[in-house]
Amino acid sequence: MEDAGTIAAWATAGREQTAAGEEGFRHLYEATSRPLWGYLHHACGRADVADDLLQETFCRFLLRKPPPMDDAGARSYLFRIATNLLHNRPRSRDDAAREEPAERGAETDQGLRLDVQAAMRQLKPRERELLYLAYVEGMSHAEIAAATGLGVLSIRILLYRARQKASEFLAPKRIEP
Amino acid sequence: MKQTSCEHETSVIRALHADQWSSELRQHVAECPDCRQALHLAEALRTLAAQRATQFKPPDPHWILQRSRRMAREIALRRLALLMTTMRTLAVIYAVAVAAWLLRGYASLQYREVASTMHGASSEFGLLGALAAAVCVILGLWPILRGGAAPGQSR
Repeated sequence: MEDAGTIAAWATAGREQTAAGEEGFRHLYEATSRPLWGYLHHACGRADVADDLLQETFCRFLLRKPPPMDDAGARSYLFRIATNLLHNRPRSRDDAAREEPAERGAETDQGLRLDVQAAMRQLKPRERELLYLAYVEGMSHAEIAAATGLGVLSIRILLYRARQKASEFLAPKRIEP
Repeated sequence: MKQTSCEHETSVIRALHADQWSSELRQHVAECPDCRQALHLAEALRTLAAQRATQFKPPDPHWILQRSRRMAREIALRRLALLMTTMRTLAVIYAVAVAAWLLRGYASLQYREVASTMHGASSEFGLLGALAAAVCVILGLWPILRGGAAPGQSR
């Protein structure tokens, strides 16, 4: 929770072009850039697009100058911007075809990775987003609601359906219903 | 047909994240197919995310700060350009209206007739004031109008 102080200090400093402001932003960036990139990559399926959207997310965050908030609030706000960018992104028809193939990894993980990647490709972007936020980021339904702009009750239902769908696409021997 | 997940699902995922399992939760996962499914999916997704995270090469935050400042300047310039365009349009409308009034309305009447329809010397002062204001506004807008006529010029 050390980041909470630095992020709050940065937020109250008004993001001025000072060394303190830059240092605060650096802390926020280090704390949130990796999970945000993972989220963007998971949702769009492409590392290059995730790189662009990550930069755009932070730029928009800086431009909007949100009110002072704690680290959870800043994180949620960043995920919200990232979600909006994902939805507003112009998608070409061959986007899915351009999703990057699995990289060579450990033999034991390779099969699982391919299975999960293939299953995720079958899902809608919204479903991938919900699954990532819930299961990888460990967000509660309320936190997901804040990050996506959906209602808490809707999330519970949509998440359940997304999980069922993902499990159907995954090999039965890996995910037992 | 069941449409929502088990109420313990969030606790199960939190326990997975923190790696802190109570015996009751373990027991529940063993008995609840929903939570078991969620747990397995979460493990698979977390493994995938961890593998992908190795590809992540974060850009320098200083570069993002610079870019956001550049974007802020561009937005400010766009707003200023919009303001200038609006002022230019209003200036043109104003100039046309004044010209029409001077040529067709006021010019067709004798100055004294106009003045007599008003009251006393104050109305003459008012009229002169309005004309002076029009001249000032046109003189003030002249640089903007000139700027619009030469798009290659830096503003």
